[in-house]
Amino acid sequence: MANRVGDPDGPWNDIPSAADLNPERQLSVSVISPSAEAFEGKATALRVPAYDGELGILYGHAPMVVLLGTGTLHIDGPDGERRFQVARGFLQVVGNEVSVLAEEVEALDESS
Amino acid sequence: MAKSRDIHRRMRSVDNTKKITRTMEMVSTAKLRQAQNRVIRARPYSNKLSEMIARLATPELAESQPLLRQPAKVEKAVVLLLTSNRGLCGAFNSNLIRRAQSLIDELEGQGADVEFHVYGNKGISFFRFRGVEMSRSRNDLSDRPQPSDAYEAVEDIAARFVAGKVDAAYVVHAQFKSMVATPAVTRQILPVSAGAKDGPQPFYILNPSAEEILSQLLPLYVTNSTFGAMLETGAAEHAARRVAMKAATDNAEDFLDKLRRTYNRARQAEITNQIAEIIGGADALES
Repeated sequence: MANRVGDPDGPWNDIPSAADLNPERQLSVSVISPSAEAFEGKATALRVPAYDGELGILYGHAPMVVLLGTGTLHIDGPDGERRFQVARGFLQVVGNEVSVLAEEVEALDESS
Repeated sequence: MAKSRDIHRRMRSVDNTKKITRTMEMVSTAKLRQAQNRVIRARPYSNKLSEMIARLATPELAESQPLLRQPAKVEKAVVLLLTSNRGLCGAFNSNLIRRAQSLIDELEGQGADVEFHVYGNKGISFFRFRGVEMSRSRNDLSDRPQPSDAYEAVEDIAARFVAGKVDAAYVVHAQFKSMVATPAVTRQILPVSAGAKDGPQPFYILNPSAEEILSQLLPLYVTNSTFGAMLETGAAEHAARRVAMKAATDNAEDFLDKLRRTYNRARQAEITNQIAEIIGGADALES
C-alpha cells in the first residue's frame, strides 16, 4: 500500500506506510451507534471529524477522549477505505483500540 | 346421543382455539428473536457510554452538570410508563401498571407532585378508565423503537429538569431478563446517577475539557437509557406473549384430553345402553 499523502508522482510516493513496515501495527476499531455496531475491524489509520476539525489517528496514539463533530469518518483498513457519516458522539483511544460512539452513524459507499 | 354430539362440538371449538394460540406462539417466537437481537446489538453502545460517563464524572464536576444535580427534595416528578399496544400477553401489562401505581403512590407519599406519561394502548385505556390524569399518552411507538423516539420522549423532561422545574424522572418498563422472565422494573433516568469508577484509569488526553465532554454525553445517556428501556419492553412483550400462548396451547391440549375421555365414555355408555335394550327386547320376545 502506497502512502496516500501528497502528489502521486511526488518524491514521497515511495515512502511505505506504517502498515507496510509492520503489518501488526494496526488499530482495532469499532464504530458503534445506539442500535447496532456499524463497524468492527482493523485499521492502519483513521481520519475523524472532531468537534474542532479533522483529526488523524495512527498506531501508538496516546489514550484520548475527544468529542465528535458532524462529518465523515474515514477508516483505512486492510481491505480499503470505509467511510461513515457520524454526528453527536465521542471517540476513545486506549491501547490501540479505538471506539467511535455516535448517536448517528451512516455507512457511506465504499470508495477506492 | 345428544350428549356425545355436544361434547364433540366443544372438542372442535377447543381444537380451533388451540390452532390459533399455537400460531400466535410461533409468531411471537419469531418476533422475539428479532427483538432480542435488537436488544443485544444496542448493548455495546450503552455499556461504553455509561463506562465513559463513570470515568469522567468526578464529584467536583458533578456540581457544574445540571443533569447530575441531586435535588434535596423531590417536588415534581415525572413517571413514564411503557406498556404494549396489544394484549394476549399474560400479566405483562398489569405488572407494569401495578408497578407504576406503586411508584406514583410512593412519590406522592413523599409529597411530590407526579406528572404521568403513558405509552402503549394497554396502559392508556387502563388509566383513562380510572380517570387518572395523563399528561402525555401515546400509542404510536412502533415495534422497532428508534433512538429518535426515545429522544422525543425525554427531550422536554430533560429540559425542564435542567431548568429546575422537574426534580426526578422515572421510566417503568419491562426488563428482558430471559425468554421466560420479564419483570416490571423502575429505572431512574433523572438525575443521572454516575456509576462508580472501577480500577486504575489510563491518563486520557481530553479534548475539549472533561466538563465539556460530560455536558455533551449526559443528554445522550438520558436518551439512551430510555431507548434501552423501550427496546427491552418490546422484547419482553413478545417473550410474555410467547409464554402466555404456550400456556394457552398446553391448557387447550389438556382440556381436549379431558373432553375426549368424557366423549368416549358417553359414547360407550350409549352403546352399552343400546345393547342392554336389545337384550331386554330379545328376552321379552323369547318369554
